[in-house]
Amino acid sequence: MHLTRSISILTILIIFIASCSSVQVTEESVRESSIATVEVSTDDTYSTSNLAMSVSATVYFDFDKFNLTSRSIQALRGVVSTMSENTELTIVIEGHADDRGTREYNLALGQRRAEAVADYLESNGINRTRLSIISYGEENPVDASSNEAAWSKNRRVEIK
Amino acid sequence: MKLYSKFLLIILIAPIKVDAQTVIDITQGSEDPYRLAIIAKEGNQKQTQKVLSIVSQDLKRTGEFYIFDNKLLLSLPQTEEDIEYREWRLLNCDFILIADIQETVAGIQLSYEIFDVANKEKIRSSKVYGITDRFRQLGHYASDGVYETITGIPGIASTRIMYVTQTSDSKSKYQLFIADADGLNEQLLLRSSEPIISPVWSPDSSKVAYVSFETGVANVFIQEIATGKRFSVINKKCNDCRFNEQISSPAWSPDGKYLSLTLYQDGNAEIYIFNINKKLLTRMTNHYGIDTESKWSNNGRKLLFTSGRSGSPQLYEIDLRKLNKRPKRLTFEGNYNAKGSYLPDDSGIVFVHRATNKFQIAIKYFDDNFVIPLTESKMDESPSVAPNGNVIIYAITENNQDILAGVTLGGVKFRLPSASGQVREPAWSGFLN
Repeated sequence: MHLTRSISILTILIIFIASCSSVQVTEESVRESSIATVEVSTDDTYSTSNLAMSVSATVYFDFDKFNLTSRSIQALRGVVSTMSENTELTIVIEGHADDRGTREYNLALGQRRAEAVADYLESNGINRTRLSIISYGEENPVDASSNEAAWSKNRRVEIK
Repeated sequence: MKLYSKFLLIILIAPIKVDAQTVIDITQGSEDPYRLAIIAKEGNQKQTQKVLSIVSQDLKRTGEFYIFDNKLLLSLPQTEEDIEYREWRLLNCDFILIADIQETVAGIQLSYEIFDVANKEKIRSSKVYGITDRFRQLGHYASDGVYETITGIPGIASTRIMYVTQTSDSKSKYQLFIADADGLNEQLLLRSSEPIISPVWSPDSSKVAYVSFETGVANVFIQEIATGKRFSVINKKCNDCRFNEQISSPAWSPDGKYLSLTLYQDGNAEIYIFNINKKLLTRMTNHYGIDTESKWSNNGRKLLFTSGRSGSPQLYEIDLRKLNKRPKRLTFEGNYNAKGSYLPDDSGIVFVHRATNKFQIAIKYFDDNFVIPLTESKMDESPSVAPNGNVIIYAITENNQDILAGVTLGGVKFRLPSASGQVREPAWSGFLN
């Protein structure tokens, strides 16, 4: 009984203190930061190769796939024979993806597609040192529209 | 093959400020918003009004506040003693904010107090010190304080967002911008003729890292925001770096000492941890499937990433403290789960999810065994979580136009309409105050 009473007095006291005490003032200072701008420009200067011979081909892929289709292999056979006959010839193999899915995954997918083409050429006797692999992921589409026709054109490897 | 050399021109130019292009537009607000009256004390009212209009806009843009038109108020109390709580209850007003600005030699000072109408008490009293004539950030700080006091969640009006734009102009085709969280005060960080992707903030928000194709191949750079000083994180020895030399997908460790990266040196995308000071690389994944898009947990103990090892992109995590770092698969629903990041309290992950034909932003809490889709357009991408864990900004494609959109965990939806160009790859900064 005695205890209960003192608790209730204490509670009243706390409520009283709480209602009287003012909220503590918080203080902060605004941080203003500066920004510098960088400009990067790439000037392409093309020099026509001394080599008269060149090879170019494009092969296509299914969504989220990097395996070569039989049609792709037909096109690559031509690349193999041109490169075998012209042993000085080097190529760039550029992998691309369509714009569905995430940009980084598509960058990796484009690289795997280019790698699949390189593997095929290497297994057919083309020295790896003649092949440069690069991926643009979904950044350089042939057709920027968002439909099945455009996507199938964009899922490609270009040989240059 | 065409032989060509690329001359790379890097110049530091005067900071470019661009007029407001993108401003938040709430498309779906809260059904039961907090009802707040904002009152400027008499005296320096004109200046105070300027700051309070920013506070008011910030709070409205959260979608969770209704701000009273002051013409409809029955009185304009100047102090706590002036408040007749009964009258505010009649107006169905939940909170009253009373503020004023004092000018000092050091700058401007905003003082504000917040009163809770239901409990008839003062719940906050604050002073914010700012620079004369620079009202925006001062307003954002005050708004964040008000938001936190009323909702219990830290405000993010004073934080920033970063994003990439693409225009048809060939010289400045790709631009990396920083803007205030409301889309205003846009400032250019980097301009390039080649693609820029995957921008991320350092934990202290003083630096950014991104992937730039400026040398002809994807490479990761770190750039100081204030100075423009930048460097490629891994200096390559070769002159014509083409053969599998690409590097991508940077993510900072919470202590800022490491970057996780994706390297392609084995002919396949694998994740590495790079010690920035010591320039040391440690390999984290080893699988013939694609491994990329790594992100650190906020306690620094885990690494989340996208892997194609199961046949479709799925999210996995590695426990960095374990000796045997076998990746653990986290997503099983849907045929595409990618670009994940942890919530600030590490209670779950936010990612791109595809169940049927739609790419949506989704969330999965570790306590639950199901995925919660947060958006419903067709091509939603690139989610980034605000530091308060309550808002997610992401990229959408609408009528062949890429724009930014946002959603809060409370269901508020907003957009950042763009006046020009494609806008994508948003990244939210940490807290700046």
